[in-house]
Amino acid sequence: MSRWIALGLRSGVRTTRYPSHADPEAEIAPSAVIADLAALTPAQAAEVADLCPTSAITIEGDRERGGIAFDAGQCVMCGRCVRAFPGAFAFSPHPEVAVRSRGNLRVAAHWAGGSTPAVDAAAAELKLRSQRLFRRSLHIRHVDAGSCNGCESELQLLGSPEYDLHRLGLFFTPTPRHADALLVTGVVTRQMEQPLRDTYDAMPGPKIVVAAGVCAIGGGVFEGGFMVNGPLDRILPVDVYVPGCPPTPLALLHGLLVAVGRGAGRYRAGGVSDGD
Amino acid sequence: MTTLRDAAHRLGLAIDGAAATELRFRCAPEAFLGAVTTLAAEAVLADLFAVTGSGPPSLTVVFEAVGEPEWLLLRTQLTGDSFPSLTPATHVASWYEREIHEMHGLQPAGHPALARLRLHDWPVGQPPMRATLDRRLDIGPGVPSVVPIVHGQGVFQLPLGPVRSGPQESGEFLFNSGGEDLVAVSQLLGFKLRVVERLAEGRTVDQALNLAERLAGVSAFSNALAFVQAVERASAINVGARSRAARTLMNELERLHNHFGDISRLADATGLMVAGAQYASLKEDVLRRCAELTRHRYLRGILAVGGLQAPLPAIALQTLRRRLPDWLRRSERLEKLLEETAIFIDRVETTGVLTREYAAPHNLVGPIGRSTGADRDCRRDHPYAAYDQVIFEVLVKSQGDALARLSIRLFEIRQSIRILEQLLESWPESDETAPSDSLATGEALGWSEGAGGETLHWVALTGDGRIARWRARPPAFVNWHPYAEACASGNNLTDYPVIEASFGLSHAEFDR
Ligand code: SF4
Ligand code: SF4
Repeated sequence: MSRWIALGLRSGVRTTRYPSHADPEAEIAPSAVIADLAALTPAQAAEVADLCPTSAITIEGDRERGGIAFDAGQCVMCGRCVRAFPGAFAFSPHPEVAVRSRGNLRVAAHWAGGSTPAVDAAAAELKLRSQRLFRRSLHIRHVDAGSCNGCESELQLLGSPEYDLHRLGLFFTPTPRHADALLVTGVVTRQMEQPLRDTYDAMPGPKIVVAAGVCAIGGGVFEGGFMVNGPLDRILPVDVYVPGCPPTPLALLHGLLVAVGRGAGRYRAGGVSDGD
Repeated sequence: MTTLRDAAHRLGLAIDGAAATELRFRCAPEAFLGAVTTLAAEAVLADLFAVTGSGPPSLTVVFEAVGEPEWLLLRTQLTGDSFPSLTPATHVASWYEREIHEMHGLQPAGHPALARLRLHDWPVGQPPMRATLDRRLDIGPGVPSVVPIVHGQGVFQLPLGPVRSGPQESGEFLFNSGGEDLVAVSQLLGFKLRVVERLAEGRTVDQALNLAERLAGVSAFSNALAFVQAVERASAINVGARSRAARTLMNELERLHNHFGDISRLADATGLMVAGAQYASLKEDVLRRCAELTRHRYLRGILAVGGLQAPLPAIALQTLRRRLPDWLRRSERLEKLLEETAIFIDRVETTGVLTREYAAPHNLVGPIGRSTGADRDCRRDHPYAAYDQVIFEVLVKSQGDALARLSIRLFEIRQSIRILEQLLESWPESDETAPSDSLATGEALGWSEGAGGETLHWVALTGDGRIARWRARPPAFVNWHPYAEACASGNNLTDYPVIEASFGLSHAEFDR
């Protein structure tokens, strides 16, 4: 046993310094896409909407008065738009992609007759519904409501030496009665809706709900499936949305900090804002 | 003549077309039971699936034989909705038939235990793969299914799930215990059922590829690779040398991060937290190299029909090559320490035993199968991508306990690094041929060896490049079958976390 302890000590500290310092990993494994929709012609818009495997990029209305919309809450990070139209779509260099307002994951642009579209203004970030002052620590109850297990794989790695979520006072708890926050992954399948509701009901109020991954946010590639009862905000009130497929570990850390009120949602689908 | 061809010849099966390394036969429904029983005695039944929809339903069985690269597909067209159950003669057919029954509404007449497999509260007469189901259609009240309870004197029940304690997948278990020992374990799976294959019908191949990548997260690449290879085989599309090397490389990276992750969870379950953290770090390091290569930690968005979405960047390949000696050194040091930690070996040795005899009729795959004497590995038996150009070994053991499953994963880690070294040593300059992506009407099987084992995907394409039918048979489907039995036989309640981690079965792959 002592040899294990020695090995642990010898291995040194490789924990990310995020959030006090930026982590270079964020640019290597991006956490979201940002869109400059004004850079697209109507024809390019139609082409990229066709390329996108989900409803993350959609054409609204007709060419003359219509427009194009991008929804990071449905973007599965397949990279097709970024490779085809690098002038209009890019990977966000920041891991701070969690938001409180679902609207900030969306951006739309309308042509209104011309070929240079007018872009929607970003929404204001919502305040946390709960005014409860959290202890410095946050106890999180996780429910897999129909994931592919990619989201869980990243959640499990939050406990690895690289991310070490305990240093931030964040803990997964096995009992709903001790939980401050409910973190949900997956589409909310027909067969997981009731167990999910039961867990939520067993938590003491006020409760914070985090939707992690595009499956929980909008259904992702499974949107519209007949076994899909989600998205999550159709079933429970959602406080924080963490996009990604899966959300990167850094994005999850940020999302949890936003949930405790120790971080701000600075992501805007049309480009990152400097703060709230 | 090979075993498969010979058997088909003796049975007088009619040839039903062919593709490279895929022998296709058909027979009348009356002859089906006899033909399958004969073939299953000489070869391995690797899949059994139904196709329903327009036209009469059909059943297809996929066979492979030891040491033969070919697959044999035998199909029969049913005249009604019933067929004689294959299960009494061929045990492995049991779960396949239960799946066909609940998902397609076909009746395997004479099946000894035709309970539901995944559907819980679901009305009879609305098979999800067949009924016209609309979004948010009010399906109405159904017949609830429950976890079976074992009754007996002094037997008490301890439930677990469906919502688990840590960040884990959902599934429900019921431990029937007489005190400390586990008398029986019952399970209720299917909570995460999304009916992925049905969702793909009518979508373009590219959209369906995104679904295949999300059937299961940690095996995203091996599932998507089997899918894309099925599409390429159905359309006779050739893949260039560099893309084949890249696919092999990514297949091995995914196998590596899974094995590191599985061992990390096993170490945690035995209380060896330092080892758990060390293996988690190795997994994280592999995922980072994956992101450097593809911009995605789980290798999504990189596969394309005919090749890749983009070539792998040379700089990232160099970084990977420099990491390999470090991965090998770290994992060998950890392996040695694990072997020398008596309290760890005590927890895994003779824990969660699947005996060779019990396992054999289940045709198990991957490290779980290879720990019970099943000498199968698609990379060696049915070489795909660039596996015919690399040298590696396959370890087979027979103890069937958690230790054997661990030993196999440890061995395979070293082999994966060896394969990566060889690939990077002679990395092809280019694809030589321009990738073709012209899809044709047709059908074919595709396969890969993921970390969990043999992964089979079968597709039928329409003329305009869309999915007519898709069948996915990921390794977890096969390997869940004997799981409850392995948990019960001779184990204590406190062994459960160790057994669960040592199997490392995916719920998402099973539930689909
Ligand atoms: S990266 Fe996102 S927005 Fe772009 S094509 Fe893929 S899913 Fe659509
Ligand atoms: S968001 Fe992506 S990674 Fe997470 S469960 Fe859905 S498909 Fe899997």
